[in-house]
Amino acid sequence: MKEILQVKHVTKYYGTGSVVTKALNDISFSVGQGEFTAIMGASGSGKSTLLNVISTIDRVSSGEIFVEGIPLSGQKENRLSAFRRDKLGFIFQEYNLLDTLTVGENITLPLNLKKLDHQKTKRELHRVAEALGVLDQLSKFPYELSGGQRQRAACARALITSPALVLADEPTGALDSTNSRILMETFVRMNQTLGSTILTVTHDAVVGSYTGRVLFLKDGKIWSEVVRGERSRKAMYQEILSVMAALGGDTDVH
Amino acid sequence: MFTELAVRNVRRQIGNYLIYFITVALTVSLMFAVNNIIFNEQILAYAETMKELKSGMIGISVFLSLIVAFVLSYATSFMLRLRKREFGMYLTLGMTRKNILLLFNLETLIMGAAALGLGLLLGLFFYQGLMLIMTHLLDMDFAFAAYSAQGLILTIVLVTAVFLISSAVSARYLKKVSIFHLLHGDRMVERNVRRPGIWMILTVASFVTLTVSFLFFQEQIRASLLRDVTPGSGLFVSLMVFAAALILFHISLARSIVNLLLKNRRFCSSGTNTFTLRQLSGKLRSNSVIVGILSFLIAFAVIGSNVSFVMKVSERLALDREYPFDINANLDASVETSVGPDQAEEIISQYAGIEEVIPYTFYTTGASELHQYTRWSGASYEGLHDSLMAESDFNLLLNRLGREPVRLDGSFLICANSNVPQAAHSNFQDAALSLGGKTYRYQGMISDLPMFYYTYFFAVVPDEAVHGLTVESNCVAFRLKDADYDPQELRSALSYSYTSKYEDHTYERCDYKLKEYGRLQKNSTTAIFVIGALYIAVVFIFMAMAILALKTLSGITEDRKRYAVLYRLGAGEREQCQTLFRQTFGFFFLPFALPLLLSIPTSMVSAEIMTIAGFAGQAWEIYRNAGLIAAAILLIYLLYFTATYLIEKRNVVQSKG
Repeated sequence: MKEILQVKHVTKYYGTGSVVTKALNDISFSVGQGEFTAIMGASGSGKSTLLNVISTIDRVSSGEIFVEGIPLSGQKENRLSAFRRDKLGFIFQEYNLLDTLTVGENITLPLNLKKLDHQKTKRELHRVAEALGVLDQLSKFPYELSGGQRQRAACARALITSPALVLADEPTGALDSTNSRILMETFVRMNQTLGSTILTVTHDAVVGSYTGRVLFLKDGKIWSEVVRGERSRKAMYQEILSVMAALGGDTDVH
Repeated sequence: MFTELAVRNVRRQIGNYLIYFITVALTVSLMFAVNNIIFNEQILAYAETMKELKSGMIGISVFLSLIVAFVLSYATSFMLRLRKREFGMYLTLGMTRKNILLLFNLETLIMGAAALGLGLLLGLFFYQGLMLIMTHLLDMDFAFAAYSAQGLILTIVLVTAVFLISSAVSARYLKKVSIFHLLHGDRMVERNVRRPGIWMILTVASFVTLTVSFLFFQEQIRASLLRDVTPGSGLFVSLMVFAAALILFHISLARSIVNLLLKNRRFCSSGTNTFTLRQLSGKLRSNSVIVGILSFLIAFAVIGSNVSFVMKVSERLALDREYPFDINANLDASVETSVGPDQAEEIISQYAGIEEVIPYTFYTTGASELHQYTRWSGASYEGLHDSLMAESDFNLLLNRLGREPVRLDGSFLICANSNVPQAAHSNFQDAALSLGGKTYRYQGMISDLPMFYYTYFFAVVPDEAVHGLTVESNCVAFRLKDADYDPQELRSALSYSYTSKYEDHTYERCDYKLKEYGRLQKNSTTAIFVIGALYIAVVFIFMAMAILALKTLSGITEDRKRYAVLYRLGAGEREQCQTLFRQTFGFFFLPFALPLLLSIPTSMVSAEIMTIAGFAGQAWEIYRNAGLIAAAILLIYLLYFTATYLIEKRNVVQSKG
């Protein structure tokens, strides 16, 4: 399996002088093409820091990260911007849809940034909007949609460039349980039907149970790993719960 | 506790409101400078005989304070709305509305006091600069100008009044607003504009109205010059229509152009164009009325300052035309004069050396034959009689003015009053004069001579033609060795008490026109006009800039979130900067575009007016002044725009690390 993401001995420090926090402590792992992986852990375990360094919006203190074999460190700012635009898709807890743009305009924004021909943009918009069930909402503004619809629109925006890796930061954090379930099923469809490689950060064991692999972080290190394999989602869920019980902290258990 | 909290809040807010603070300080400094001029001893000595100088300046100062009060009230309440979530939070924590009002007023007081302090400090320098301009306009010697306590007190009183008004506006808002609105009222609701095509039609219609009202305004001015029509309500109406059309233009433009551009898919699918247009669309629509008003203020500033310079140039030129000699008198022969030419010569010689005395005479036939060929004929002008001058007298005056003499050869000439453009438009081709049994035909017209006589026109006839005619006026012109005398003193010495036949009251009358006195009078009027217009223009532009900057900076928090999304989606620092520049420039430039463009027709109209008034050679000065004014406005605009953009960029644009 082709490795999309490789994280090698990554360490990240915050602060200076005597007040230094080690947010990531020599972390190494990789994500293969078409994998759906979750990173779980208590607050302060380093989940968000890990997502930030992978998404190039923060720098590592040491170690290296490769996406599709390309090292992220040492790249110039404008190349990193192009990298984020072309290789990564983002889904945030608060949707982060631009309130001034219609849903359609929000979804096509990454393609506009690539200056893709508008006819192709239109075709791509139709493809992802149909796949994510937001075709009827394209001319609406985000405030006119429900939370679930907004998050699906955000998924469509993340997928429209066919990125190598989709990064999701607590994607169900602002949703109720029904919409969380619908969103996770959408993620599974994105992963299985569209072949997207997804890396999500979550507190929620239910979210983790939809994925193929869960990495548990504790104090900036990978503490444990659960792989679903051929097991059912329920079995995966049970195992996540037992790891979390052993892990302790404030991770949500539903 | 409140004072401490207020000081902390001011310190926290100062970064965001720096532009507002600087604008208030600059406005205060200008107010201080102008108020000091009003009470300046040197100017006041001047103003004693020219009362309009002082009353004019006080009028301008109070008017400007009202404008500043309006704008600052708006800005203060705007700042209050910006922080409504914070105030909502205070209310939920148990503070009373009175507490919050006290807190906000304390903050305003601290900001106001600091701005007043800085403004007064800057005003010390502005005042000297303004005095330099003022003394130059008044043709006085500039010396370091003393500061006046009255000027300081007036400034403090006006600034206090301005802040009290703005506090009252804030109090009214805080008294009425609900906690829910404070906490949740700023959620942005974006909507698509319905029927942008109709708004586009309205944009075009308002632009046409704008042009028509401007042309009508121009026509009113032209009519007042050419057809002797007193500019009345027409001018006011055209100005009001102009203002209304300008505001409507901005309202409709905000709803049409951006939304029509949004329909252009090819344009929108490139880069951050859609994002920029949407950012602009919301901002322009919610601010379209204020942008229209700002545009009018700037247009007013452009027109006002242009007109003031036109006035300055034309009055300087008009002086030579109105006063051909240092002292000139037209003494009515039918009235016994209190101060005759001989007595006048004696008085004048006590003040200034006389180089030459030039007597000349005007005669009348008692008829109004020549008036038949002008617009001043008919029942309304029954009392007007033709005035005639002998060729030798006329040639003597021409000689002293350095002009070639005329040769009449049995004909007559018409000398039209160059201050009355309509006179030169009369057609005397068929006119003939029968005098002493001889008929004189019309030879031509001279319309560019200075004013020798207070009439629309007079005829210059051969010397033999005036024999036996009634003397209408005994005139005398004095050429002085030097003009360095006290014109006010000399004028009073030449004046006498005159009792009006009809109104039965007595006043001081002087039959002698002193060029130097006229120059000082014109200078004072022009000085008020120029200083007043520039003062108004600068304050208007400061106010407009402050509002635009505040409006832009108020969106920083929201913009930061939006640009963070752009950054994550792959917009690099450069692309974000370009987007932010386009967004800020679009919002800033809109209220400036038309007023700046207006400089072109304004200068053209001004130049035309100068040409009509007979100063065609000076039209270039008008274009130069218009260019300088536009450049000065553009400079202020660029300074504010750059400052705003840099503050925004620092806060909004996302980059790694």
